[in-house]
Amino acid sequence: MSMLRLDQIFMAAVVAAMMVVPMMSASEESLNLISLILVWGLFAVGFDLIFGMAGMLSFGHAAMFGAGGYALALLAPQVGYVPALLAAALAGVVLAFLLSVFALRVSGLFFSLLTLALAQLAYILASTKLRAFTGGLDGIPGVPRPAMFGVDFYNNRNFFYFLMAVFVIGVAIMAVLRVSPFGSALKAVQANDVRAEQIGYNVQRLRQCAFMISGAYAGVSGALLASLMFYVSPQMLHWSTSGDVLIMTLLGGKGTLLGPVLGVAVFEVLKEELSQFTQHWYGILGIVFILCTIFLPNGIAGLFAKLGRIGKGASK
Amino acid sequence: MSALALQDCDVFYGKAQALHHVSIDVAAGEVVSLIGRNGAGKSTLLKAAIGLNAIHSGRRMMGDRDITALKPYELGRLGLAFVPENRRIFPNLTVEENLKIATVMGRKGPWSLERIYQLFPRLLERATQGGDTLSGGEQQMLAVGRGLLTNPEVLLLDEPTEGLAPLIVEHLTEAIRTINAEGVAILLVEQNLKVPLKLARRQFVIDNGRVVWSGTTAELQADRARIESLISV
Repeated sequence: MSMLRLDQIFMAAVVAAMMVVPMMSASEESLNLISLILVWGLFAVGFDLIFGMAGMLSFGHAAMFGAGGYALALLAPQVGYVPALLAAALAGVVLAFLLSVFALRVSGLFFSLLTLALAQLAYILASTKLRAFTGGLDGIPGVPRPAMFGVDFYNNRNFFYFLMAVFVIGVAIMAVLRVSPFGSALKAVQANDVRAEQIGYNVQRLRQCAFMISGAYAGVSGALLASLMFYVSPQMLHWSTSGDVLIMTLLGGKGTLLGPVLGVAVFEVLKEELSQFTQHWYGILGIVFILCTIFLPNGIAGLFAKLGRIGKGASK
Repeated sequence: MSALALQDCDVFYGKAQALHHVSIDVAAGEVVSLIGRNGAGKSTLLKAAIGLNAIHSGRRMMGDRDITALKPYELGRLGLAFVPENRRIFPNLTVEENLKIATVMGRKGPWSLERIYQLFPRLLERATQGGDTLSGGEQQMLAVGRGLLTNPEVLLLDEPTEGLAPLIVEHLTEAIRTINAEGVAILLVEQNLKVPLKLARRQFVIDNGRVVWSGTTAELQADRARIESLISV
């Protein structure tokens, strides 16, 4: 089962094809769209470590996502881009640690509610009390992009390659994490935490580690989004951001490496297309989401797995 | 010296007292069984031994070290391995992953993946299958293997042969003997005398949350009629 399966190869091919599109076409829209998918994809890949692997529904990932954006916006002009990006990851880790100190005291629904409440606290702080640093509801415009190797990253095409590099590195690290003993242990904790504890795992510590790693992914992707848009605002910290990443992950298929990326792709493409016709695109997206949970409970990845099995059966 | 001992333990569920001044001990390398009918308190006692039930008064000891206050994962790392009655295989992991994750936090010792596959060749055949695709007997082998891979001092087996075919029971009984021959002490919990009489040197009988009889296997044979009545439903 740990060997590469047909459906995983399919998914990797789809994601790779997606990244090739902007290289083939001159269209700015597709470039923008794929850039967004890479950024949110990285966020969703990190979110699934906690949601799909450890089985904890966090409703507070917006906090780490936004913290990454603010960290980059505030620090990049002082310390340079790459150190600021690392600081964004660290901001995600530290905030995840703080959230976990409170939220991990409880489990299940109460964990979700506590993460939600704490993230909303971050949202309120950023939009009011910390106005001096965060610019309040106006946010911070003019978030920089990297300046290195003499490449002009303010060119969207060049920045797209930068995003792709970070995305590929992030996914590769996650792929290793998922098949490592740490990944197995998380799956064991999800299946039966009491048993996992009895074979010597400090379950709370494991959950906390996963939450912090997931926070690092949220921090980096938040920073990249701020860079992509040249702008960071409290909206990134809003609970609906946590909801979006959850919907994306469920659409794509939780518990799989690349499923969440496909979920992000479907979400962003639908949003892009639907919003051209109607302002009520979120409602239509909601209907799509409801239909998917009924007919595709394992998301797009589940559909691929089904197709893979049919393919295998036919070749026999 | 005892590898594991409960001394004068009281355990409560809410206000109801489930165990009354229970004392049992397992010496290093010994097989001891705990026998009792349904609801007698066997599982409650096991859970108290591995830290899942709080011990209200009394002590849990390992050698002369007091381990009453330790958490379940700390007890697991110290060398207590528990194989639960319903096996509790991780269904979302393969057979091999189920085994491997037990090696990470356990102690160093003689038990390796290869040794487990040697003991239960059936598991090697099923190594890449999902944990949820195994038969009852195979699940039991996997659960025992998982426990052993933490390289325990004491292996606690909760009704390991319940509901299994006679041939599998024989195979498991033989495996338990092999495991014990390697120096692992075993606390075997059963509802009947069949397997305990074959394997254990000493026996404890529990009823209504109290240890009502204890002695060697020979003494049990001599007093068999009374013991049978204590554990019959």
